[in-house]
Amino acid sequence: MESDTDQSIPLSNRPEWSDIVPLPQDDGPNPVVPIAYTDEFRETMSYFRAVYVADEKSPRSLWLTERTIRLNPGNYTVWHFRRLVLEALDADLLSELDFVGNIAKSNSKNYQIWHHRRWLAEKLGAAAMSKELEFTKKILSTDAKHYHAWSHRQWVLQALGGWEDELDYCHVLLTDDIFNNSAWNQRYFVVTRSPHLGGLKAMRDSEVDYSIKAILAYPENESPWRYLQGLFKDAAKSLISDPRISSMCLEVLLGKRFCVFALDMLLDLITYGFQPTPEFNDAVNALHTHESDSSLGETICSILESIDPLRANYWAWRKTKFPALAG
Amino acid sequence: MSSESESECESEPNPLIWADSEFDRERHVRFVGMMYEYLPCHYQTQEINTLTLAYFALSSLDILGAMNHINKDAVADWTLSFLAHAQNENEMTVGEFHGFHGSKSSQFPPNLDGVLFRNGSHLASTYCALAILKIIGYDLSLINLKAITKSMKILQQHDGSFMPTHIRAETDLRFVYCAAAISYMLDDWSGMDKETTKEYIRNCQSYDGGFGLHPGLESHGGGTYCAVASLRLMGFLEENILSKGTSSSVINVALLLDWLMKRQAEDGGFQGRSNKASDTCYGFWVGGVLKILGGSKFIHKEALQKYLLSCQSKAVTSSDSDHGGW
Repeated sequence: MESDTDQSIPLSNRPEWSDIVPLPQDDGPNPVVPIAYTDEFRETMSYFRAVYVADEKSPRSLWLTERTIRLNPGNYTVWHFRRLVLEALDADLLSELDFVGNIAKSNSKNYQIWHHRRWLAEKLGAAAMSKELEFTKKILSTDAKHYHAWSHRQWVLQALGGWEDELDYCHVLLTDDIFNNSAWNQRYFVVTRSPHLGGLKAMRDSEVDYSIKAILAYPENESPWRYLQGLFKDAAKSLISDPRISSMCLEVLLGKRFCVFALDMLLDLITYGFQPTPEFNDAVNALHTHESDSSLGETICSILESIDPLRANYWAWRKTKFPALAG
Repeated sequence: MSSESESECESEPNPLIWADSEFDRERHVRFVGMMYEYLPCHYQTQEINTLTLAYFALSSLDILGAMNHINKDAVADWTLSFLAHAQNENEMTVGEFHGFHGSKSSQFPPNLDGVLFRNGSHLASTYCALAILKIIGYDLSLINLKAITKSMKILQQHDGSFMPTHIRAETDLRFVYCAAAISYMLDDWSGMDKETTKEYIRNCQSYDGGFGLHPGLESHGGGTYCAVASLRLMGFLEENILSKGTSSSVINVALLLDWLMKRQAEDGGFQGRSNKASDTCYGFWVGGVLKILGGSKFIHKEALQKYLLSCQSKAVTSSDSDHGGW
């Protein structure tokens, strides 16, 4: 098998390919958006098409698909044929994982690569579990919000397992960057779906404490606010009756910190039936100098119109709908 | 027109820095026109999506009111040449999708028996092809549409999602949208089970109201558009639902709206995910969802416009006016 150093030698100059008649693509008359292919690209694709049409599933075909993939990693037909060849040759799929890992270094946002990786992991089964978790961890270490990596990781957990350390992993990522919404999403995924944790209800209490801690550290961070509310999905009564949550909102308001999300949360609580005590009224009223609207909810909307002007139209509309817009 | 642009460019001290206050239609027409005629070699890694690139170019020209340069018959012939042709239902190969290929690189002539060979047609290419044909006003009834919708059924998975091609690929909301858009354009829903599709979409709504590309994934602007647009096309979401004051039994609209509104960032642009940078594309993905729901009135339009214009490139110069007189 030729090494990568031979990449520069045209296929037409290689004796081992002399029996193949390359099949050029036919763009037809008047092509729209015609691409100025390089000679190397054009030639490689022509040889690929020849072996694909001939259905040649040989070691040299495997080599050719690698060459083609390096030039054209988005072409799903090439990946498809490579899979057919791998199966026909009963190739070593563990080293194929290494190949994909290598290609991913410069093409990590490519859907075909991740699909191929998943196909390999499906074939390898449980044996691939730790390798896949390691691989996605490596990608996430350079881009902790990499959507493909998270998608693959979620699939691995569900199909092959490995849940045990996942909550800790989320915590590590959140310690690195508490604003990482992908990590918060993964945390929710683990809390709700891990077979080892008992489900959302069982985890709710500790996760409320976890989110409140994050919120109080940076109340301008949207992620933990959303996460907190997500913990009470379809459980609005529990949300409004948990004193930690309303107290936290109050704490943020009194602390004169970024309070858009606190006010937003308070608005939702009231919508769900929370009865604010006078200290809430006082804390909210301290935030503005206008005449009070008729209800605390409407007052909150007025304040938000003023302090969150990017969404002024939205808050004005919320004011008119209040309290009809109950989740 | 081109001579005005020439003098403008000659007087520019630094052509790439420009505080735009206006949308420069002519420059966009010229840029898209150039791409329509010729794509430089660094696009070759996108060649499998040739039909999609053509769709972007043609729909842009259509929106810009610049279709006068287009030879619509030639475009129709070119687009139709990508069809994985089946003369009639009996000619359809079992287990294969008879849609459009995305590129000539992966399309092959029929074999010696005249049978379709190495059919790699794809849902996204099919969506783009039909959209192109509609833009140029082609009569779709001239195509064997039944072959498309009937064979599309094999691409739907048991969980309601869609695989884009029968030679197997990833499944997610993008291809649900393609399937719904195809069905809507052809006014034929026999190619998909709408109920299971609806369930798949529901399962993609995240705890924060947005939609991930697959159940469990982080809310994403593109995924959210695919979800909401599909529901609307399928008839599971009524028009302008926010103004009507009704709620949906399918998705949590209030939570979705709150998520959407939070996507407009301090720079005026839209972000695709919470705590990430803005990008022009989310002006469409997120803005589009708000439009579908009847909530575009909530967008801070001035801030968005300022952001979008700040992304307007000046890279197209007068010398490019040699390309086909655009």
